[in-house]
Amino acid sequence: MFGLIGHLTNLEHAQSIADELGYPEYAEQGLDFWCMAPPQIVDEIKVRSITGQVIEGRYVESCFLPEMLSQNRFKAATRKVVNAMAHAQKYDIDITALGGFTSIIFENFNLDQIRDIRNVSLDFSRFTTGNTHTAYVITRQIELVAPKLGIDLERASILVCGATGDIGSGVCRWLAHRFPQVDLILVARNQQRLQEFQQELGTGRVLPLATGLPLADVIVWVASMPKGMEINPVELKHPCLIIDGGYPKNLGTQIQHPGVRVLNGGIVEHSLDIDWKIMKLLNYDVPKRQLFACFAEAMLLEFEGWHTNFSWGRNQISLEKMAQIGAASVKHGFRPLLT
Amino acid sequence: MVDSVATLDFQSDIYRDAYSRINGIVIEGEQEAADNYIQIAELLADRREELLSLSKMESRHKKGFEACGRNLRVTPDLPFAKEFFKGLHDNFQKAFAVGDVVTCLLIQALIIEAFAISAYNIYIPVADPFARKITEGVVKDEYLHLNFGQQWLKAHFVEVKDRLKQANRENLPLVWRMLNGVEQDAAQLGMEKAAMVEDFLISYGDALADIGFTMREVMQLTAMGLAA
Ligand SMILES: NC(=O)C1=CN([C@@H]2O[C@H](COP(=O)(O)OP(=O)(O)OC[C@H]3O[C@@H](n4cnc5c(N)ncnc54)[C@H](OP(=O)(O)O)[C@@H]3O)[C@@H](O)[C@H]2O)C=CC1
Ligand SMILES: [Fe+2]
Ligand SMILES: [Fe+2]
Repeated sequence: MFGLIGHLTNLEHAQSIADELGYPEYAEQGLDFWCMAPPQIVDEIKVRSITGQVIEGRYVESCFLPEMLSQNRFKAATRKVVNAMAHAQKYDIDITALGGFTSIIFENFNLDQIRDIRNVSLDFSRFTTGNTHTAYVITRQIELVAPKLGIDLERASILVCGATGDIGSGVCRWLAHRFPQVDLILVARNQQRLQEFQQELGTGRVLPLATGLPLADVIVWVASMPKGMEINPVELKHPCLIIDGGYPKNLGTQIQHPGVRVLNGGIVEHSLDIDWKIMKLLNYDVPKRQLFACFAEAMLLEFEGWHTNFSWGRNQISLEKMAQIGAASVKHGFRPLLT
Repeated sequence: MVDSVATLDFQSDIYRDAYSRINGIVIEGEQEAADNYIQIAELLADRREELLSLSKMESRHKKGFEACGRNLRVTPDLPFAKEFFKGLHDNFQKAFAVGDVVTCLLIQALIIEAFAISAYNIYIPVADPFARKITEGVVKDEYLHLNFGQQWLKAHFVEVKDRLKQANRENLPLVWRMLNGVEQDAAQLGMEKAAMVEDFLISYGDALADIGFTMREVMQLTAMGLAA
């Protein structure tokens, strides 16, 4: 049994979904209410691999909302994460992906220090951040779409916003390895971490976002931001490929410009329909087939019987593990979203 | 309201004043529980021994919490505590009078136990060292008690389902009122109301799910009156 721990993108979204699901008790409530709400299993899922294997899973809604971070409700935010994990474990889920912000909260607030949640002693080997598969999928999106736009990756400039993050660092490592000539532009807020990461990587240059954006042929957005930001497409290179891997989206508004192509980053498409309700609620174009790569990682670990925390801790994503999860991804019929 | 990082001074007047009411509630709650299990034993004669032993555990808990109060030189405010439990107390007695064991179990073995579990879980990390030890021991027992009610109601789910829904409707709103009534005092002890509500909903919801309610029913049952 695999599990997915998810959350919605904002309060308004949460209210509308509670309404759609027929929970008026939840639909009319403000942030205070969500700060008290317990985790819930809201979906039972069946997935078939192209190998014919079928697995079952459960979707745990954590009731975390990004507003809890932007409004400094940190205790509520951390409670949501550990309570959702305890819930998953109590309901016998063998391997659970911590989706969206939940893995980031786990890292930022050192929740590995908390093992005992009420009468449950958390077994971290049953959880994965899903970030290795996410990093793999984002690199495949770059490799497959950039050439179609006429971008030559051998000599391109690629800006990674969130380069020192878990996913960002994995993406940078992969790109530096595959395209030794690539001009990597590393962006984040903390300069010291950026310098250290650049040294570890042995390549790339650290630039402020505003300086880097007009230089980039490809922009990878994998920053952990509770709210999206605005960028002006006119100031970018044309053609320019933007991969927005944030959840919630790092870009605040839709970009409409003939020279700029924006892709939902870290999203895969399954070859077969998935029997679930939840992705429809998350506003995906093809909800029966599209899903977050981190969720797909939990499915892959279940298909392969790798009941282990495949992705865990920050900046641990190795090229070997990206290749390993990538091979499993292909084997079971997942494809990176290309349009 | 924004998270606050409180530094607690267990000896301060303001802490001890709040503690007198919270300690009173805890002592009275354990007394209620001890009494309630004796009465439930009358209704469930075949489980009498077990229930009497639960009752004894509750009396031990009460003694433990009395010691916590003495340790901080606090006099528990028992009249306040009696008033605090009055709603649940009266409903329990009404149900007992007509031999309604389902409602009695819901009030004591589900609601009061889940309420105690949530309060103790949230209290433990902010308790003084003496009280922490005692509370850690107590909360383990309370899970056993919750489990007793859960198992019995689960075994009789089909017959008791509607009755449980009704009893939930009548009693859960009292819990929210009780929590509102101690919000300020609990905050002085470093206990956040939202955390207690969440913990309560988890323990209570898990019990309802185990008894046989669907996820959807659990969400509806547990949210009853919460927003009001
Ligand atoms: N599609 C999918 O399947 C998945 C998507 N995600 C999403 O990917 C994103 C990254 O996740 P993850 O790598 O785990 O996060 P991390 O917390 O590990 O890394 C976040 C990175 O973003 C940087 N950052 C944060 N805020 C800003 C800012 N305002 N401007 C510039 N840089 C910033 C951080 O550095 P610094 O603090 O120094 O600025 C850090 O480099 C998140 O939005 C997450 O929700 C995650 C998992 C799966
Ligand atoms: Fe007790
Ligand atoms: Fe008890």
